[in-house]
Amino acid sequence: MASTTRRTTASEQAPGKGAGFRSLQVEEFRIKSEPYYLPIADEVELFQTAYAQHMPVLLKGPTGCGKTRFLEYMSWRLHQHVPTRAEEGVPLITVACHEDLTASDLVGRYLLEREETRWIDGPLTRAVKVGAICYLDEIVEARKDTTVLIHPLTDYRRLLPVEKRGELLEAADGFLLVVSYNPGYQSALKDLKHSTRQRFVAIEFDYPPRELEAEIVQREADCSAEVARQLAKLGEKVRNLKEHGLAEGVSTRLLIYAGKLIANGIQSRRACQTAVVWALTDDAEVQRSIEEVVTSIFED
Amino acid sequence: MTAAEQLRERYAAELRGFGSSLPEDFGAAAAELAPRFSAQQLELWAQAGVALANYSLRSWEASAEYFRASPQVASAMRFEQLMAWARIATELAERSSVVSAAFLKATPEVLEHLPPWQLEPWARQGERLCRGNWKSIALCALYFSSSPRLLAAMSLQRLGELVAVVDALTERSYELATTCVEHAPQIFGALAPRDHEPFLRFAQAVTRVSWADTRLYLERGPALLERVEPEMRSRFLELAARVTADVGRQGFPLFAGAAAALGEIELSQHDAMLAFAGRLAIASPIAAMEYLKSAPFVRTRLTAEQMQQWAESGASVLLEDGNAEGAEAFFRLESTRAEQLMTALTARVELAHVGSTLRLYAKALTGEQVSVRSTEELVERGIGWVTESSATTEGTAIYLPPFISTFEHQDANFQAYKVFATHQAGRMEFGSFRYRFGDDGTQTPSTVHERERRVRGDAPTRATTAMERYFDLFPDRALIAALFTVIEDTRVDAYVGREYGGIRSVLRRLQAHEAQHRPALQGMALRAAFVENLLRASLQAADTMQWPHALEPVLRDGLSALRMVELAEATVQDSAEVAAALYDIAQRIPNVELEPDEQWETPDGDLLEVAASMPGGGAGDVPMPQGEEAEFETPPQPEFRGDFKPELVQLLMQLRQQREGDGEGEGAGSPITQQQLQELLEKSVELSLSGMEEGDIASSLAMFLSGLEKEGGTPQGEPRPEHGQQQGSGEEPVQQDLPVAIEWFHYDEWDFRAADYRPRWCRVGERVAPEGSLDFYQETLQRHHGLVAETRRQFELLRPETFRKIKRLEDGEDLDLDHAIEFLVDKRAGVGPQARIYWRRNKIERDVAVAFLLDMSASTDEEIEKQRPRRNEREDGFDDDPRKYFQWLAQRRAKQAQEPPKRIIDLEKESAVLIVEALEAIGDAYGIYGFSGYGRENVEFYTIKNLDEHFSDRVRKRIAKIDPVRSTRMGPAIRHTVHKLEGFEAKVKILILVSDGRPQDHGYGRDRTEKEYAVHDTKQALLEAKRAGITPFLITVDKEGHDYLGEMCDDIGYEVVADIESLPRRLPSLYRTLATQ
Repeated sequence: MASTTRRTTASEQAPGKGAGFRSLQVEEFRIKSEPYYLPIADEVELFQTAYAQHMPVLLKGPTGCGKTRFLEYMSWRLHQHVPTRAEEGVPLITVACHEDLTASDLVGRYLLEREETRWIDGPLTRAVKVGAICYLDEIVEARKDTTVLIHPLTDYRRLLPVEKRGELLEAADGFLLVVSYNPGYQSALKDLKHSTRQRFVAIEFDYPPRELEAEIVQREADCSAEVARQLAKLGEKVRNLKEHGLAEGVSTRLLIYAGKLIANGIQSRRACQTAVVWALTDDAEVQRSIEEVVTSIFED
Repeated sequence: MTAAEQLRERYAAELRGFGSSLPEDFGAAAAELAPRFSAQQLELWAQAGVALANYSLRSWEASAEYFRASPQVASAMRFEQLMAWARIATELAERSSVVSAAFLKATPEVLEHLPPWQLEPWARQGERLCRGNWKSIALCALYFSSSPRLLAAMSLQRLGELVAVVDALTERSYELATTCVEHAPQIFGALAPRDHEPFLRFAQAVTRVSWADTRLYLERGPALLERVEPEMRSRFLELAARVTADVGRQGFPLFAGAAAALGEIELSQHDAMLAFAGRLAIASPIAAMEYLKSAPFVRTRLTAEQMQQWAESGASVLLEDGNAEGAEAFFRLESTRAEQLMTALTARVELAHVGSTLRLYAKALTGEQVSVRSTEELVERGIGWVTESSATTEGTAIYLPPFISTFEHQDANFQAYKVFATHQAGRMEFGSFRYRFGDDGTQTPSTVHERERRVRGDAPTRATTAMERYFDLFPDRALIAALFTVIEDTRVDAYVGREYGGIRSVLRRLQAHEAQHRPALQGMALRAAFVENLLRASLQAADTMQWPHALEPVLRDGLSALRMVELAEATVQDSAEVAAALYDIAQRIPNVELEPDEQWETPDGDLLEVAASMPGGGAGDVPMPQGEEAEFETPPQPEFRGDFKPELVQLLMQLRQQREGDGEGEGAGSPITQQQLQELLEKSVELSLSGMEEGDIASSLAMFLSGLEKEGGTPQGEPRPEHGQQQGSGEEPVQQDLPVAIEWFHYDEWDFRAADYRPRWCRVGERVAPEGSLDFYQETLQRHHGLVAETRRQFELLRPETFRKIKRLEDGEDLDLDHAIEFLVDKRAGVGPQARIYWRRNKIERDVAVAFLLDMSASTDEEIEKQRPRRNEREDGFDDDPRKYFQWLAQRRAKQAQEPPKRIIDLEKESAVLIVEALEAIGDAYGIYGFSGYGRENVEFYTIKNLDEHFSDRVRKRIAKIDPVRSTRMGPAIRHTVHKLEGFEAKVKILILVSDGRPQDHGYGRDRTEKEYAVHDTKQALLEAKRAGITPFLITVDKEGHDYLGEMCDDIGYEVVADIESLPRRLPSLYRTLATQ
């Protein structure tokens, strides 16, 4: 089945809404309230312009640095571009790519229903039809033959061929293809094909500088400013170890987890151990070193 | 006429004809004895002497001694005893007149130590030594002549025991026996009498098992024993004797080692240690001695109680598990268990153990490529650091002492390491070396340009670095360096405290520890005391300051300035400014020693809490004491801060930049000249050259200069021509030019008796195999072209299809129409079908890595022909026709001359060629390695093709060069191969070991003939491979392989290739089975 994911944000889960779940079509999903996003540079402006100019966007950056959050924020923010719609924001359809992601997973397939077969649109097709932002997360994970499928959508044609039905879909005005890509991750084994890569404008993300990250951690984890500052410091120090025992630096997301644990009464050293040290690596030596950094920064 | 004269008359005739002096000796003796004895007695006495003289040709000499000694001897005993003495002498003369003479001559002196009735046993003891040959006679005579001195040192009974030892030695070497007797008086004189007996008993034991060691023992024993607690010596000797009885020739070396070791341990411990050793000795004497031998080393790591605990654990291996070999290895420190336990118990932390943790830690903190090294290395580099003890940094690496054992607990010592490292990392992180001349600080504006104008006028600076330019401003460089160090360290400590709350408490503890170990203030020259007080304040120990009351305003100014750099944003620029201001203050303080009665006070609370501010010059009018100026001495640096050499570090950084051709930054573009370097080094106080002679300084400077140039990278000369391109002839490149780069690895070895690993026991040297010619490879291919083609084809069959359609899936790429229809039909029919109607393409990746390990031991040099049973010549149809046979023989010889007989190694090489061809076809990752070596320290490991290396002509050439080398120590070679495979990513990993026989190497087992040890270690190594997820497989061409392989391999696959020549054929098919499991 199509791997569509419904992303929720912390701000959306308003308390008291009940335990019941809602089921809705992917293209109907809207981000209702403003997701928290702290711009680091000019990425908001860049994205807005790219969206207006129908330029597909490649979000580059290490894991957990805020690519997805940025897109949610943009989806919420870009509502004025779809004047015909009453709801706020541009629909955001996210597809987490994986090795077995096939073309039909994206475009659609026939299903049997009673005496006949029925066509069902894949997430990409839906996005093309309703003019949504289609976000292919971790595009390198997808098979190369799948990625070729998106080529006609990413240039001036903005077309999606649906071979099985013999159709050609022209993308609605609000449609934009966004892919994300983590260059450091398994770069030797999997790299984006140049023919794919050169169809996007690339916005590069990195972990925010210490002060901003402290702000983000404090806000997201709801912890004290001091703890947030220490966590941001830890983040900076641990990232120094990238390529020297660590494949990836610690993500802002992990720092927020640690912050949440601390804010909820877990001892700070212990919180960092579970949320940062053990989450990052299995190498005992590196673990030990990071733990030493943790114990240097945190008093208990 | 007196009785004596009568006697003389009477015997004159009889005594004539012997020596000319004999009658005289007789006369003199008779004269002395006459008053004491009756005429009859005298007669008897004289007759005995004459009889002695007549006994043999030279016995008159003995007779002379008899007469000479008689008066003295007679005075000590009754007449009957005297006659008994004469009788002994006569009996001895029967053996040898020389012996008898020696006996007689020595008697008077011996009587000083022995009562008369012991003369006989004394003589009999000596007589034992006399065996009739001249060597034994000389030895026996020596015994008697040395007896007075011997008996002065020891009792008669001990002497008897010594004789027993000497007697035993005579069976081997008279020379040695003689030396023993000669030295014995001295030796026993040095020993306490109560130790004589055990000493001799041990001597007997040593002589029994290893006569040659006796001399060593006698020579060195007393000195060795001297350092053993006197009360314990006999106990130790008894132990040694017991051990020797058990272990034979190892006895003395063990004793010597243990004694030397005991000498290094405080005397009070000897009792307990020997008691413990005694306990061990019951079950294993060797373990007992090894325990003693290891003790000094263990004591450097453990306290007495910890050592007790450690030793008990070893004892339990011996006494409870009954594993003597294990206990011996344990106490010899050749067991992982022993080491681990020691590491766990010790409070001492070794840099070797924590270095890599600290390295990553420092990297994390600084974000730079720092390494962590031992301070020992820095001194060796010769770039200006000369003390090994203190931590420091030179900008790219952090140097830490090799171990820390200051505190009682391991954790505290590790924390201390961390603070050391944090402080050094802090210097980098917080910019101690990034001083820029003239930049303002965050707290203080820069005044250095003004200062420079005052000092130099308009003369341009010649300084190489900013730091040098700064220091140039101050005439007393030692003072400004001391002040800048204190200030900057204070700033870094403050930063560390703020930024790293977690180690704040440890930092405080170390500061307090340092504060307690500062030199006494009173009596220090005043200016030095000023700096020392600042240092104490910077250690947060202001309450230990002491200062003359009258000068308090000066100190107040100093302290408030110091506090400036503790402010949150202070930079190195502030440190420089504060140091400059403090320099001005310190300059006004005369460096005089005050009168002892001068009032030094610990400043009160008000001064301790002085606010940060730059000195305003208010204390300028405090009257200063007068006196003789002493030279300024820099107070010692606190240990955790270590050496601080900003000037040298900046210089080094600049040199490095210059080398890297980095055009950025100040001062770049104008390369540093040697003259500039020299000037800087001469001025700098950071070289700590004080106390050196003039000549030493010059040579040290030269050394540092060249060291620094090396760091900075001297302009490289002509690039060396690439190997092989140099000569036009080209065909034969000069081989010896290529240095063989050997990378060393250490591996544990399994000691099956101890049931434990011997830590870091084997050293494996990995090197790239030498290259031969390409011909071999090509020839092999041609010779076996059929086989090659066949194996290639077989392997190609193995090649995976990249995609395979998988059907009957619940979800997939598309509907499978057949199944869909089937499904619908089933559904209609109501048979409960499952909706598995999709298909999908699946990738099946072949992911195999294989390492071939080839035995390159000398035995592979053997020809195969020899091993093969002789051909059934009869059946070859010679028909008893000798001509046919000779014809065949001639043919065979001709053939052999054409192509030399094949050796095992040749087959290994051919197999390698085949397998390479096959594997290249299939595309699996593979490595080919060879191993050999001699002894545990030198296991040679040859890389013919690394796992990640591409196949090339070089590999082909290396295969050609596979040659038999030395022994077969399989264990470490397997371990190293496993290590290589572990570092390689693949789903299936295989290790194939090709060997010609059982493992064997020097020291790979208890002795040359023992094979079990090697087999067990190899087995263990194979098991380790299995545990690491590697499939090991053994192929041997040893026909007796089944004997030991069964034991060695357990459930590990192995194959004895019966027909050796089938090896090349067999390898590929074996591989197929293994890789497709």
